Amino acid sequence: MKNMLKLIGASIAALSVVPASAQDGAAFFKDKTVTYIVATSPGGGYDSYGRLVAEYMQRNLPGSTFVVKNMPGAGHIIGANAIYASKADGLTIGSFNTGLIYNQIVGAQGVKFDLSKMSWIGKAASDPRVLVIASQSPIKSFADLLAQKTPVNFATAGPGSASYVETVILTNTLKLPVKNLTGYNGTDDQLAMRRGEIVGSIASRSSYTTFIENGYGRYIAQIGGNDKDVPQLSSLVKDQKALDLIALVQSQGDIARLTAGPPAIPADRMKVLVDAYKHAMENKELQARAEKLERPVEPAYGEDVAKAISKALNQSDETKQLLAEALKSDKK
Amino acid sequence: MFDVMFAALGALVTNPQTMGLMLIAVLIGLIVGATPGIGGRLSIALAIPFVFGMDMTQGAVFLLTMHAVNGTSGQISSIMFGVPGDGDDAATTIDGYPMAKKGEAGRALGASITASGVGGIIGAIVFAVMIPVLEPIVLAFSPAEFFLLAILGITFIAFLAGGDNIFKGMIVGLFGLMLATIGMDPQTGTARFAGDYLFLWDGVSLVTCVLALFAVPEMITLAVKGGSIAAISMDGVKFSYKQIFEGVMEVPRHWFLALRTSIIGALIGMVPGLGGSAAAWLCYGHAVQTSKHPERFGHGAVEGVIAPETASNAKEGGSLLPTLFFGIPGSSGMAVMMGAFLILGIQPGPAMITKHLDLVWTLIWALVVGNLIAVTFLLFITRWVAVLTFINATMLVPFIVVLVVIGAYVNEGQWENLLILLAMSIVGYAMLRANWPRAPFVIGLVLGRIAEESLHKALDLWGLSFFTRPISLVLIGMIVATIAYAIYRSRKPNVLANMQVSA
Repeated sequence: MKNMLKLIGASIAALSVVPASAQDGAAFFKDKTVTYIVATSPGGGYDSYGRLVAEYMQRNLPGSTFVVKNMPGAGHIIGANAIYASKADGLTIGSFNTGLIYNQIVGAQGVKFDLSKMSWIGKAASDPRVLVIASQSPIKSFADLLAQKTPVNFATAGPGSASYVETVILTNTLKLPVKNLTGYNGTDDQLAMRRGEIVGSIASRSSYTTFIENGYGRYIAQIGGNDKDVPQLSSLVKDQKALDLIALVQSQGDIARLTAGPPAIPADRMKVLVDAYKHAMENKELQARAEKLERPVEPAYGEDVAKAISKALNQSDETKQLLAEALKSDKK
Repeated sequence: MFDVMFAALGALVTNPQTMGLMLIAVLIGLIVGATPGIGGRLSIALAIPFVFGMDMTQGAVFLLTMHAVNGTSGQISSIMFGVPGDGDDAATTIDGYPMAKKGEAGRALGASITASGVGGIIGAIVFAVMIPVLEPIVLAFSPAEFFLLAILGITFIAFLAGGDNIFKGMIVGLFGLMLATIGMDPQTGTARFAGDYLFLWDGVSLVTCVLALFAVPEMITLAVKGGSIAAISMDGVKFSYKQIFEGVMEVPRHWFLALRTSIIGALIGMVPGLGGSAAAWLCYGHAVQTSKHPERFGHGAVEGVIAPETASNAKEGGSLLPTLFFGIPGSSGMAVMMGAFLILGIQPGPAMITKHLDLVWTLIWALVVGNLIAVTFLLFITRWVAVLTFINATMLVPFIVVLVVIGAYVNEGQWENLLILLAMSIVGYAMLRANWPRAPFVIGLVLGRIAEESLHKALDLWGLSFFTRPISLVLIGMIVATIAYAIYRSRKPNVLANMQVSA
């Protein structure tokens, strides 16, 4: 009976969809309030990008009001769940850590979203990963690191976080002589590297810009990005399995600071949202402001992001296996 | 050196535009601080768009002043209604609210506001003095020291409960430590006692617990009892600037305590990793421990107001140090501040001393001047604010309950916290009725997490040998001495006699 009703409902809905144009979509947002969910507390990268995106999207959707709502907790899962479960009317969108891809692949606890079904509006940046070594360490290159006889200490955030997953899968498959220490949240790792108790870390390049400029450390390898000051990790590795995992990590970095809505937002409204996002990203003022925050803009939009996400989710069984194993073998 | 120092002060106070901005910043900072549940971090994040296009110095002064005076007004609701704005202010509530009940709200506010100002200014001085020796001191504190500092703080529980209450205090403290284990296990990444309730993954909300344990029980008591918060009639009190001035004078009377807690607060702020609430609580514990009459605490001892307030304002000066000179922010509030500095074109790092020494001094002076403005302004309006404690409960309680509910919700934006508020309020009311101490709970909750995380890290890094690091040995000595002193004092007969009188 329930299915029957659904069917009838669906047919009515199908019939009532007169070819909708973008004009209808744009008219819809007039006098409406759009909630932009940021899956972290105020302050920090996700919040900065979220507020910029919301402010400039509002300018490109006449008559609309964008409200930023911070929904922190459980490593972005609370925010992502909230966006996924919101009504698909285009009035709730938001941003969360791309690293949730890992949580979905391994079927982690608490995940109530399916990234492959979400409505992808765009991404604002690329955030390549770097291998950083504290300046007082004698390790000057990736080869030096591999040549270490006794494991050196690397710091990661809590288990289950994206930083942890990436550090563990890379160190395990590359067989790096590294001991991973967990619980270094925020900038704890940088301070620990200054103290010398931690030798290195695998982190996003943007979070280490100031650290490196101050001469506290050096990059020895990078994953993704166009920077020429440091070799790409993929050029230093031969093993195919490792290369697959490096590619997975790179795909994460390529689609950073994303904006998405719940599944099945009507196509006309999606088009309007993606256009507004695009105009926001192309705005010179936004670019200048992001530049000052040391958060460069490197956008991609709609379908392109959706494709990149489903590509990242669609890993070979072998990679999935590696991912699960890497995570399991490090659990105590 | 000195020419730069005073040139910066001159430039700051003679520029009408900068001073105007500072006044606005103080006002915003005070309003945000007085509203429970809204932290200083949010106010900086929201103010960032406004500083775009401001001159580097003015923008930095604006944001820093706003942030620095935040703690100065948070105590108003803690003292007057027993409604702490956040974890720091909860320490002020323990003695501030009993003072208000005795009709001494004016004195308590006078003392706490002055203490905040003094703390803020001493914090700025510590900042200035510490610049040359910053690096070795900050880098000397590792997870091993954090763990032992947290344990030292936990041993203060013995003093907070006092006398024959010591076992009650320990039980409550252990309850706090127990709740601190709820959430993501920092070592294995599995959810502990949280199941699928995602809102518990980051631990039980401190603000919610503090509101439930302190604010709600007091409001229930007030509603049941009727009358007003101040237990005496208004005619009985000479309610005037005189009472407030008496409070102000309490700070110079306890100048040595104020100096010590300011310096401790600034040092805790300087060493990232212990967190803001730890400063206020450690200093409260320190005040009780060093007092000749620890039994007065919890019943309206003015030292119990001075210590946490000096500490929480002094830590702002301290926490700016690693942010400015290492580019490594010590707290989430400072992380936001650092983002704002970058926007303004300030590149935090060791080069600040060589390239932007004038700006550094301007910021130090901004801390001093901002605190002075805030203190003057608050002392002036306090007279009218304190009268609220004489309002009839039937009119006051509903307002405050609304404030409490909003505070518990807004802080993390999760409605589930309202359930925690309800459950913990029942516990809090029971504790109040049975005359059990409530402060040890907050200490357990605040320091339990720090202790656990740092213990894991320290063991991972050095194994058990971390106990033999030099600073570790000093801290262990302090812990042993604290415990021994607590046992000695609880056996001293005259203290016990005092206890029974006051209970």
